[in-house]
Amino acid sequence: MMRFFRYRSMIAVAAALCLLPAAVIAQQLSQVSRTTNTPPAPSGPTPRTPDGHPDLSGVWNGLGDNLIGVPNQMANAGIAVETETSTRDVFSGARIATFPRNSTSPLNDEQAERASTLVRRMGSNRPIYKPQYWETVRNLDQNANEEDPSNNCMPAGVPRAGIPSFIGQTPKYLIFIYPGQGGLIATQTSYRMIPLDGRQHTPLQELDGTYTGEAIGHWEGDTLVVDTYGFNSSTWFDQVGGYFHSENMHVIERFHRNGNTLTWTATVNDPDVLLEPWTTTPRVALLNPNPKAVLPESLPCSERDLAHLATKEHH
Amino acid sequence: MPTKAKMKQMFMIAALAAIALPPAGAQSRKATANARTADKAGSASDDTFDRAKTLRAAADALGMVRWSDIGAGGVHLPAVDVVNTMEFWGSGTTYGSGQAYKSGASWPSFKTEYHIALAYNPPAMRVEMTRTNPDAPVQGGAAPLHTIQVVRDKYAWDESEIGAGLVPGKGTATAAMAAVSNRLIQLWILPYGVVKAALAAGDKTRISIENGATVITFPLSGQLAGATVKATLDAKNEVMRVETRADNPALGEMLTETEYSDYADHGEIPTDIKSPGHVVQKQGGHPVLDIQVKKVDANNPYLVFPVPENVKKAAAH
Repeated sequence: MMRFFRYRSMIAVAAALCLLPAAVIAQQLSQVSRTTNTPPAPSGPTPRTPDGHPDLSGVWNGLGDNLIGVPNQMANAGIAVETETSTRDVFSGARIATFPRNSTSPLNDEQAERASTLVRRMGSNRPIYKPQYWETVRNLDQNANEEDPSNNCMPAGVPRAGIPSFIGQTPKYLIFIYPGQGGLIATQTSYRMIPLDGRQHTPLQELDGTYTGEAIGHWEGDTLVVDTYGFNSSTWFDQVGGYFHSENMHVIERFHRNGNTLTWTATVNDPDVLLEPWTTTPRVALLNPNPKAVLPESLPCSERDLAHLATKEHH
Repeated sequence: MPTKAKMKQMFMIAALAAIALPPAGAQSRKATANARTADKAGSASDDTFDRAKTLRAAADALGMVRWSDIGAGGVHLPAVDVVNTMEFWGSGTTYGSGQAYKSGASWPSFKTEYHIALAYNPPAMRVEMTRTNPDAPVQGGAAPLHTIQVVRDKYAWDESEIGAGLVPGKGTATAAMAAVSNRLIQLWILPYGVVKAALAAGDKTRISIENGATVITFPLSGQLAGATVKATLDAKNEVMRVETRADNPALGEMLTETEYSDYADHGEIPTDIKSPGHVVQKQGGHPVLDIQVKKVDANNPYLVFPVPENVKKAAAH
């Protein structure tokens, strides 16, 4: 049966249209082919702002992007392919059998998509929902092609958006920009303004829920902590898995710069649906080494493929 | 055109390479000679080659080995074992083990609906079984019942409903610590468990040929230390028969034989992971299970096995 919804081609289009600087950098990096999905070791000093805090500002897309690309998504899901013979589940520490490829030929679209569905979901670090929601999560994931908000041009939201591709920093606030790839594909560009002035949260009942919530930042040593609540319930909080949430979700993100790398984790607490708080596997972004790097304008998101879906196969 | 200096440099590099690297033909001849030596001696390297080749073939036959580089130019990952969580639905017959109505009679049989959720990381399994006997009076002490039996790592418990004992008002969980080994071994004698455990056993895994079929033999470890698994592959390298004989206080000495057949991708959403369509299990020569698999979700679905607090407390005592 003809299948119109082609993940690979959409990735290519998204990358081409939304991430030109990223693509250029990825091309530079790809000159040395990698056989692991672990991030490069940090290099260089960690710059500081005049007030003494680490300087997080810059374009953080040196790995092409921290979300697009199945090897990166595997890393985000906690599967670290460390060498050609060794793979580890970061959360549990379990060793995963690793084999040579048995073909040098590229996989066809169908093979690649089925494989990517499996590798992106094989990690053990899964949020633990209350039992009454287990079937809901499973069904949302199974029907993700239609149910995933990010397949419908909706904002990725927090924490799904992950590491911002651009951070602007002043002593009083930070600006985060997420180009229009959001979670996996076809999401809107979004931004966040994070005050650092010591203000308190607005009482939750006075907030209208939004995609990115009300965020307040503070420094804990050299780690930037961003505390966010006041969300709507229209997003999923991770890239895959059908991980829905309520308006009562509370997210704590931690950003730590080491040389030219930025490590990010998020802890999600949603007592309405989760049995316990859940912390993402740490993700690492690489600073774009081009001092003139800028983010290009993202084209408006326009979803035209869902009507042509022929199967429930994931993408 | 290269300058004279550059040509001199290239010549020197070529000369060094020629000295340092033996010709490809020489390498090939050396490898062949090594293989012959290994053949004669039956050496460890020979075993290692057979083991790696056999286990890879078995893993490939099940569709466990994958890679995907979509969207990340320049990254070419090796292949990995992608099987973690999986869900099966099936129906068939179970037998009341050792519960014959009369001495020497066969064990009572029941129509059974099966629903199995499992994970290998961490090792866990939830077996929901609804047993009925609509065609005959119940004899031999085994009554119709609905059970949910769970195991995760060193914990085993029974649930009154799926996920019982985790939130107030949602069923009860009853610790069943004595059943840990019996439940856990079912995970490792599934075809995927056989391949994973054989790989994990490393050089303790032995490959042999019996009656023309490839046989994989390996010891289990951890909670199941003392138990040995013998798996026979069919001509397509699919696991067709698994025998376990435990030297384990919890499992006893009983021989368990499990036969798998009718392999296919039984998923509503195709994964290219093959699973058996028919499972027959015997214990001590008596049939205990005969199940036709109706559906499988092998797409690493959302399946979790949190241990209820009361079970943790019971295990601590």
